[in-house]
Amino acid sequence: MERPYYLNLAASGLRMPIGTHLVLHQHENPEAILLNGRQLGAVVEEAAIQFKAPMAVPVMDLKLEKEALLSARGIPAADIESYHFAEAPETGWKIATTPRMSATCEAIRHIAQNTSLLPVGIGIGPFSLMTKLISDPITPVFLAGPGSTADEDSEVRLVESTLALGLSAILTYLQAQIAAGAKAIILCEPAANKVYFSPNQLAESYEIFDRYVMEPNRKIKALLDQNGVDLIFHDCGELEDEMIRRFATLDPAMMSLGSSRKLWEDAALVPDTTVLFGNLPTKKFYSDALVTVDDVKRLSDELTCRMQATGHPFILGSECDVLSVPGAQETIKAKVEAFLA
Amino acid sequence: MSELQDLTAAVEKGNRKEATRLTQVLLDAGMPPLDIVESGLVPAMSNVGEKFKKNEVFVPEMLIAARAMKEAMAMIQPLLTAAGIKPKYTAVIGTVQGDLHDIGKNLVAMMLKGANFNVIDVGVNVAPEKFLAAAKENNAHLVGLSALLTTTMPAMKTTVDAFREAGVQTKIMIGGAPITQQFANEIGADGYSPDAASAVDLAQTLVA
Repeated sequence: MERPYYLNLAASGLRMPIGTHLVLHQHENPEAILLNGRQLGAVVEEAAIQFKAPMAVPVMDLKLEKEALLSARGIPAADIESYHFAEAPETGWKIATTPRMSATCEAIRHIAQNTSLLPVGIGIGPFSLMTKLISDPITPVFLAGPGSTADEDSEVRLVESTLALGLSAILTYLQAQIAAGAKAIILCEPAANKVYFSPNQLAESYEIFDRYVMEPNRKIKALLDQNGVDLIFHDCGELEDEMIRRFATLDPAMMSLGSSRKLWEDAALVPDTTVLFGNLPTKKFYSDALVTVDDVKRLSDELTCRMQATGHPFILGSECDVLSVPGAQETIKAKVEAFLA
Repeated sequence: MSELQDLTAAVEKGNRKEATRLTQVLLDAGMPPLDIVESGLVPAMSNVGEKFKKNEVFVPEMLIAARAMKEAMAMIQPLLTAAGIKPKYTAVIGTVQGDLHDIGKNLVAMMLKGANFNVIDVGVNVAPEKFLAAAKENNAHLVGLSALLTTTMPAMKTTVDAFREAGVQTKIMIGGAPITQQFANEIGADGYSPDAASAVDLAQTLVA
């Protein structure tokens, strides 16, 4: 899409959640729907219509790439979620899309071929995937900061090899979504945050952040550019300002941030060609003790007003995927409707 | 003894080599192993925890400090075991059923070990009955439940209910990004902690 598409949506005062998970769980047997591309496509479309959103976004499930990677390795399905590499794996595996991925691609194809909605794909970022592939990613990332290399330290080698392997799985899935018709990709990199990167260390140098987060993401951005697909960059983690400046160098069409950020201050960190999206505290919507409907209305008005004052293109939305919490679905839905009103 | 202070400083900085060297120096000098733990290692992790609360250090620094302490403890533990010395309190800790996130749980486990708790880490995606069995088997004084996702928070209530229905009154503390004191009150947990360093303070209060 041309960049004005997003800027015009922002200028129109659009409000929208990422809310397919919420709608999916209004249906019986959501797990079966996730494996049925035709049904999933209908749910993705239903979510966009229900929330009056011009974009059709699949469920933000950041486990799919790990599943594809480890299935290719021959890891039994029951062990995949908890599996971690103990030593650096060799690269060059043939990674195939899984049934869940294929269903998501079919859903995207349905949106692209049968609706006027913008077909959006979704995937995990390389750094965040790496953190799911090894048991302790934080320590070696920290040790690599002052200069420990893969040759010197087996844990650093583990980080770098799983990062490369994960990137290949991500690219495989993104290519499949693009082939299915995705015109934009939400790239979710929530682990690129202050838990994994010490602000003390970053104050001295961003070299390790650039190497482990930015370089792999630039490869993804290159793939999207080659295919004329827009980047929607998402990170709901606790961030430093400089992290956001660096994400902005990827030239995303939209940037989605968590509720810990003050978007009206972040506007100065991001070029005017990138729409800021978010960042209502939707993770707290499950509880009236934490956020009431009136709070949501007040926060929406305040955020909208502050962003208007900055003049930065902005779409009011959720801070992440709005997850359906058992027993609190109606509470959550009422708050989503409150900010859309 | 300056080596003891140096050991504390080495652990705080996460300097594993120096921490193990100094531990050996102190053992060779005849310092009782428990004194090394209580006067050298525990204060180090306590200092790290205090700095963490004040945003002076962050998760990576906590982890490398904990790793340095772990290596020092690996040298001391056999001596403590041989002398029949055990930590006073035992905590069972895990991430609740349906949730695979372990950073918060691991941090709390490390900080509790740093405060000289015997920690039984039952892992992630832990069913209520597994928590209950581990608590009974180890005569736990405390159970720690972690959850990162709003979708898995209900499993905390299920776990607390399992303990109470079984008549087990072990203190239960909970934590995780979406968790609040309000939620802890609602599900009948004994305490809530917003971060790993504060979790140690809470744990010590609950078992006292």
